[in-house]
Amino acid sequence: MFKFLKKYSAVIKMTWIQTLEYRANLYVGLFSILSGIFIEYLIWKQIFVARGTELIRGFTLNELVAFIFLSMIVGQLKSSWVTSIEMIDAIRSGGLNKYLIRPISFYTYHLMMFIGQNSLFYMAYFTLIAAFPFIFPGLAFTTNFQVFGFLAALFLAVYLSYNMYYIMVCISFWFHEVRALVIAYNIANIILSGQIIPLRFFPEMYLKIIAFTPLPFLVDFPVSIATGQLPTDMWASKFFLGFCWCLITWGIGKTLYYFGIKQYGGYGA
Amino acid sequence: MSIHIQNISKSFTSFKREAGLKGAFQSFINRKYETFHALQNINLDVDSGEIVGILGENGAGKTTLIKLMVGLLYPTDGSIHIDGYTPWKRKNEFLKQISVVMGQKNQLWWDIPASESFLLNQKIYEIPQAEYKKTLEELVQLLNVEDKLNVQVRRLSLGERMKMEIIAALLHKPKFILLDEPTIGLDVISQSKIREFIKFYNEEHNSTFLLTSHYMNDIQALCDRVFVIHKGHGLYDGNFNALVNKIKPQKKLIFEFPHAPAEDMIVSLQQEFEFNLIRNVVTAELPDKQLTKLLGSLFKLDDPVTFSVEELPVEDTMRTFFSNPEKFL
Repeated sequence: MFKFLKKYSAVIKMTWIQTLEYRANLYVGLFSILSGIFIEYLIWKQIFVARGTELIRGFTLNELVAFIFLSMIVGQLKSSWVTSIEMIDAIRSGGLNKYLIRPISFYTYHLMMFIGQNSLFYMAYFTLIAAFPFIFPGLAFTTNFQVFGFLAALFLAVYLSYNMYYIMVCISFWFHEVRALVIAYNIANIILSGQIIPLRFFPEMYLKIIAFTPLPFLVDFPVSIATGQLPTDMWASKFFLGFCWCLITWGIGKTLYYFGIKQYGGYGA
Repeated sequence: MSIHIQNISKSFTSFKREAGLKGAFQSFINRKYETFHALQNINLDVDSGEIVGILGENGAGKTTLIKLMVGLLYPTDGSIHIDGYTPWKRKNEFLKQISVVMGQKNQLWWDIPASESFLLNQKIYEIPQAEYKKTLEELVQLLNVEDKLNVQVRRLSLGERMKMEIIAALLHKPKFILLDEPTIGLDVISQSKIREFIKFYNEEHNSTFLLTSHYMNDIQALCDRVFVIHKGHGLYDGNFNALVNKIKPQKKLIFEFPHAPAEDMIVSLQQEFEFNLIRNVVTAELPDKQLTKLLGSLFKLDDPVTFSVEELPVEDTMRTFFSNPEKFL
């Protein structure tokens, strides 16, 4: 275990070094989320003014903005579509060779690269999250229990999301070009997992359908814990279900990789 | 590390389409697949410490064979055992003992200095700190890249990058090293330095090397033994010089007379030997025995101002060979 950690923490370190090499890219990446939040705030403010109501689907404007703010941060942190595109390119162009000839796992190596690339963003976003109780007092992280619950749910969301992208990566062993699929999934995922609009705003029928998918665990679950929207007595069953989804997606990814690697042509090298 | 390859075959399925937009549409609706046999029934045994050159034209199957040997590909048929390991099972113990350098692909991180990639490899291969430091120092000195270690990889020249790739590939002291076009695109000096280094490393560590190269000078300088692949079939396995002699046993003679020799003497010699005379210089490409005889006859005519007997360029010889390999074997 210690050797494993030593090996893969080196990958995270390398990713930090590489990310810090390009400062402008890092700054733009860090602050791009703020513009999205500002736009959402303006839109929802106008909607509240136009409707002349204090509540929409049980949310006040401040509650909604706090919920969306957190949703956008979680959505950003869990999205590994850039890493997925890199992995697909590696399979298409023969770049996978450099992982296969070394005693490392393609899956874990890229998971660590993804964590490494995002961890600098995690630090910046956690500063924003730490300021939450002051910006939106009483709307999120009102207890330590919520803080720890949120962190655990966030960890689950990031891992689950990575597994879902990894499944698409493995499909490229057969179809070679699946970047369109990843991009389409990414766009659909932003909307359908509640990253821009809370799931509660969606039709009842849709909510019934997605209850059978991992989508609610990607954004809605951690944010609902942080904002107290999810009663604490439901946490355990939800965590258990989320954990099951992690296992299922991990298993599918592993199986696809097992058969897919036999199709691999190692082209371009 | 010994290698035992038995009846290995590898086929790929790909689709073909006609050029142009029409072809693209046709292929989109009705794709025609075909099977390409990259390797067929290849047998090869390599002993520990050998340097074997794999020769063949583009598309002959050299790189496919290398990829099978390091476990990048699964074979369609046959078996490969390298010190008891089956490569495509990719056991960590096996992967720690091999290394591959592919001229056109790299394992170094592009945007940061090579020294960082070396540190990552130290962790990946679990090399103890003291051993890592010693090996790195040794390799860096041998390849003369001390001042380039902390320069971003993308800012290095092709030759420097290749040297860094070789360092990254050898840090864990592999027993079996596959070099696929290691000198591709390099200038003559860099090529020669890399050749010297490979020779030295092989002697020092008794590592087994398999090498593909389009530069016959690489093969001639490094490999006593070659394995020739032609259209996916193993065609020749043996001594390189013996192969060259089989293809073109001739040597080149240049003989300069002080004055143009008498025409009747030359005409009579030309009935026996094939050679050219331009003014006072005779040139001939003949097998050893005939060349010695001709040389004797020329000496009888007059003492030369200068004369030389040279080997024919091996590149030309191999070009002749690959134009129709079956003819020579």
